[in-house]
Amino acid sequence: MNILLKSAKIINAQNSELHLKKRDILIKNGIIDTIATKIEAPKGVKTVALKNLHVSLGWFDSSVSFGEPGFEERETISNGLHTAALSGFTDVVLNPNTHPLADSSSDIVFLKNASLDFASNLYPLGCMTMGAEGKDLAELYDMRNAGAVGFYDFKSPITNSNLLKIALQYVQNFDGLLYSQPLDVNIAGKAEVHEGITSTKLGLKGIPAMAEELQIVRDLFILEYTGGKLHIPTISTANAVKLIADAKKKGLDVSCSVAIHNLYFTDELLEEFDSSYKVYPPLRTKKDTKALIKALNDGLIDFVTTDHIPLNVELKAVEFDNATHGAIGLESAFGLLHQIYDLEKCIELLTQGRERYHIKENKFVEGNKASLTLFDPDLEYVFDKEKIRSTSKNSMVLGQTLKGKVYGIYNNNQLVLET
Amino acid sequence: MSELSVQHLLGIKYINEKDIQLIFETADHFKEVINRSIKKVPSLRDITIANIFFENSTRTRLSFELAEKRLSADVINFSAGQSSVKKGETLIDTVNNILSMKVDMVVMRHPNPGAGIFLSKHVKAAIVNAGDGAHEHPTQALLDSFSIREKLGDVAGKKIVIVGDILHSRVALSNIFALRLQGAQVKVCGPKTLIPKHIESLGVEVETNLRKALNWCDVANMLRIQNERLDISYFPTTREYTQQFGVNKAFLDSLDKEIVIMHPGPINRGVEITSDVADSKQSIILNQVENGVAIRMAVIYLLASKIK
Repeated sequence: MNILLKSAKIINAQNSELHLKKRDILIKNGIIDTIATKIEAPKGVKTVALKNLHVSLGWFDSSVSFGEPGFEERETISNGLHTAALSGFTDVVLNPNTHPLADSSSDIVFLKNASLDFASNLYPLGCMTMGAEGKDLAELYDMRNAGAVGFYDFKSPITNSNLLKIALQYVQNFDGLLYSQPLDVNIAGKAEVHEGITSTKLGLKGIPAMAEELQIVRDLFILEYTGGKLHIPTISTANAVKLIADAKKKGLDVSCSVAIHNLYFTDELLEEFDSSYKVYPPLRTKKDTKALIKALNDGLIDFVTTDHIPLNVELKAVEFDNATHGAIGLESAFGLLHQIYDLEKCIELLTQGRERYHIKENKFVEGNKASLTLFDPDLEYVFDKEKIRSTSKNSMVLGQTLKGKVYGIYNNNQLVLET
Repeated sequence: MSELSVQHLLGIKYINEKDIQLIFETADHFKEVINRSIKKVPSLRDITIANIFFENSTRTRLSFELAEKRLSADVINFSAGQSSVKKGETLIDTVNNILSMKVDMVVMRHPNPGAGIFLSKHVKAAIVNAGDGAHEHPTQALLDSFSIREKLGDVAGKKIVIVGDILHSRVALSNIFALRLQGAQVKVCGPKTLIPKHIESLGVEVETNLRKALNWCDVANMLRIQNERLDISYFPTTREYTQQFGVNKAFLDSLDKEIVIMHPGPINRGVEITSDVADSKQSIILNQVENGVAIRMAVIYLLASKIK
């Protein structure tokens, strides 16, 4: 599709010539053809003129769940990718959070085939163990060859240390990326929220920050022994940051991410037992959010994620104990992140992380693939349930005023715009 | 006329000191009523109350039912064992089905913390929390404070120690909120494994030596071990627990002063207290039970008066 973006302010710190400049951008057949101060639309080219239009390279999210196959009532691949596009994301890594779980190459092939022809790209993760049971390794090499970009027993901590050791050794042959959920399940017990003043007041058993940190310490010890590539998804405590930063200094190949809601919300919100705020890892304290915000800013946390988990209302509108962990995050990602960081930092954070998964990074120069996110960073709006595109509406941002609205993306020769 | 600041009684956390005093003054009146030869008043003839119990209870359920009947309310009882809950019905559907039969108030006991709060946001009825997991048991705390007030004249300034399984106890939590609201000093005592790490943030002190705790206090509220909520072993044996945290008559007599013994029931005789302590003149356990009816009458009466 050929389009002309009119008067778009470019946010791309890597290209100092264009960064913060207003330009017209002509895109032909999916390629950035011309970037100039003024371009007249050639015949047959659609002109896109949007209020306060800003444009950056397409955004990346390393942790997204849909529901297909098995939980289509939560989200389908089609609507999930459409929602991702309207939220500004051109590339998303899909968690193995389906039924059946993606633990074989045929499952990965299904996901890849089901996600062809969309504007946003989907990169599936495969399970590390068969059925994510934490016992027998799945066929990791075969899944990698089918398109899996990493291996993760979704939200299930690896309790068997030897299994992690073997897995880390095994994947080195083909440069595989392993995930380890940071939680010591014995310390956490049946607890489902952060252990602190709020959990005490509410009579809820709490997960001490130590449960996360102990597991990370173990993982790092094993990684030091084995070598290999380890990713620790969605850390949530101040000390976790320090542990991982120290390991990186030692030269270990470890990365970590943080969920946007763990930067913004704290456990005090649980006081009304509202299951919208029931997520895992749990919302923690102000001290933790401050440390995480700083660590992300300083580059100690590798990338930010929405940790988007759509859940149908039947899984949420129940007693707090019985509610499922998770919240959608794609559509509120930019608006929420922009409450924390300035625009340039937001865009830097939303565009980094691909390298870890060997996903091609594009450049904002003529002749390159056009993989762009279009947005208005100044528009204030109320995040309204009625306007949510995701099949599931389990957001913790409902009713909140956000600043920064995404128009859509141009990617894979397709334009997807909010109508 | 004074009225409560809330539409529901979901926990002591959600009410204020004035509410507590209003409930006590109303309960004073009802205590006098239930000691008359005719123990019933016609106040709530137009009110229907459903007692919905998703957890076993004898004392609390009987106490609520008696309180409701003495106020002349129509009463229906419902327990999870006989219900569609076992067939997979959600809590909201279960309660809404009952409410569609024109029920005005729901008294609910539930194993999940916050279940009453959840329900109050989704159904149109006044909700009384009769115990929600390890969260709150507000009427128990009110009757406990009412009994202390009756025995010692006032709650403010009194020293209360709560002994036992604090970690799993809704009675402990509601008592802490209620006692602190009324200006009492509170300590908790028990094995460290059964005391929440952050309990001091609620304005209480932790004392793990039972003798020190009891020598300090005016009143000891002895809780039972919530065996049904223990997911792992928090102490080696009941025998060893009793050696450290059980009170027998000799122990009681050896204290520096004569303290008041309370227990929310059911008692595990010989574990947290021996029979001679439970039945001693220092015990006000049966007064608590009697006061329970008066307090629940007061709570129901005051909430019913807010139903338009």
